Amino acid sequence: MNNPRRLSSSCSMTNIKSRFTHGFLRALSRINTRKPSTTREICKRFLRVKLAADASMASAVGSRRAWSRAMLLKMRLRRRTCRDSRITNDKKKKKKMSGSDQKEEVNGIRKAEELRGLVPGGESMEICKLLDETAHYIKCLSTQVKVMTTIADFYSL
Amino acid sequence: MSGQENEDLGFQHRSESILNCPSSGMTTSHLPEKVSGMTISSLPVFKPSNGADPFFGSGWDPLVSLSQSENFGGSSMVSHGELSNPSYSVVLESQGMNSTSHLVQYPSDSNFVEMVPKLPCFGSGSFSEMVGSFGLPECAGIANSGCPPNFISNKEKGTERASTFGAQSQDGRETEDAGIGSSPSGKRRKRVIDSNSPFSTNKNAEGEQQKDLSGESSDVMKELDGKKLKIEENTSGNLRSKQSGKQSKDGSHSEEAPKENYIHVRARRGQATNSHSLAERVRREKISERMRLLQELVPGCNKITGKAVMLDEIINYVQSLQQQVEFLSMKLATVNPELNIDLERILSKDILNSRGGNGPIVGFGPGINSSQPYPHGMFQGTLPTIPSTAPQFTSLPQTVLDNELQGLFHMGFDSSSAIDNLGPNGRLKSEL
Repeated sequence: MNNPRRLSSSCSMTNIKSRFTHGFLRALSRINTRKPSTTREICKRFLRVKLAADASMASAVGSRRAWSRAMLLKMRLRRRTCRDSRITNDKKKKKKMSGSDQKEEVNGIRKAEELRGLVPGGESMEICKLLDETAHYIKCLSTQVKVMTTIADFYSL
Repeated sequence: MSGQENEDLGFQHRSESILNCPSSGMTTSHLPEKVSGMTISSLPVFKPSNGADPFFGSGWDPLVSLSQSENFGGSSMVSHGELSNPSYSVVLESQGMNSTSHLVQYPSDSNFVEMVPKLPCFGSGSFSEMVGSFGLPECAGIANSGCPPNFISNKEKGTERASTFGAQSQDGRETEDAGIGSSPSGKRRKRVIDSNSPFSTNKNAEGEQQKDLSGESSDVMKELDGKKLKIEENTSGNLRSKQSGKQSKDGSHSEEAPKENYIHVRARRGQATNSHSLAERVRREKISERMRLLQELVPGCNKITGKAVMLDEIINYVQSLQQQVEFLSMKLATVNPELNIDLERILSKDILNSRGGNGPIVGFGPGINSSQPYPHGMFQGTLPTIPSTAPQFTSLPQTVLDNELQGLFHMGFDSSSAIDNLGPNGRLKSEL
């Protein structure tokens, strides 16, 4: 069962990779229109690039995965109401901390909570699904890192 | 015992049903009512002597003769030294008794002999009732491996419809369960329950149980495979929990059958058959499978065994990947924009070319071709370096790069102009 899964995922990975590259480069071109003069501009650009990377990755994956759906939803919310999203994020963080303190006795559950915080959309998932999503998320993250490394190398030349 | 007055009827009918059981499977369904009327006190008298019993009417005479010739049943029953045993034997002997065709069913003595061991199999209804009236211990001694399932199934069914059986029979059944140590795996019980929902189908169950006994446990297991154990467990979960201990102890049957599929889960040997525990086991196996997948993804986790440590590694890896993305985005943010444009065009065009779509590039075609000689030579030296740094973009053929660079060179490296060119380019690309 694993092998066909991997085969299909590898095929989809190449597609995801190309889609991600495409979208990310486009976003990069949009962002890097001017030379960054001040550090503040660089910081802004950095945030925008980070957002672009996440957005292009999420759209490359599409709605097939729960984590990509959660990511896209978060970005849409962010676009609509930046302030509100920030507030909700803080609230989530507070909840997470209190929850983790209480469950520190059970290592497994604590680790799961940590993982939930890392994987987008992992708040309301059971362990089984969470592990599934984590596996796909790791695959996509590693692809993202590879592509961005290549692009950075290109630029650095 | 109660219902002495019903003896005649009870015996006749009971014998009838008992008679039918071994030979043709339980067909009579009127057993239950009569069984309760079974009385044992007078039976022992019957066994040794001929026609001594006033209870048995004309129909018993032939039975007496048969029993005399048989004696086996009596001896085996008497050995138990219980009141019920003789009555048991009488019942056995009287099976052929009934004035009707039942006598015909016992052509030879050997049938009686066969009947004795098969009695237990007779059927949930008849046997349990008989046993109930007799008392447990005797029946336990008599009962073979085939009995328990009947009893257990009866018991479980009896809880559903206790109306037919009196309190006696139920008590008898429960005691039977306790007494029967060599009960087969719980699979048989489940199977019986599953196949005999209505009480009237008891006979079928008995027939099936007989087959079970005659067949092998493997056969039973195969049949059980088709049943949905979960449903059965739900219906009689309490009873099972009591009996699960017994089941686990019974090592007579190999219960190492592996999990069939997602829904059909079999309790393994020595494991509780509680529906909750089975579902838990399925869930745990799913989680462990996912963990194995993750182990392969995360580098350097092949030798790690243990959920906590593995989760630690996974968390660390995910965090490191996210940090890498952040760092690279920071790096990209500080890069020169001019190079960005070139890169994007090169890479995106390459992707488009790989897909076979040369449409948007056509616009640059003439420009590229005209300027081919010079820029081609110019960039030849730099070309090899670029592909080497882009291992991921193995699809980037050098020829394509040449064309791209030629086009770029032709356009000029002025960022503004490049941007303008990019605009329509970008749009074209986006269409694709």
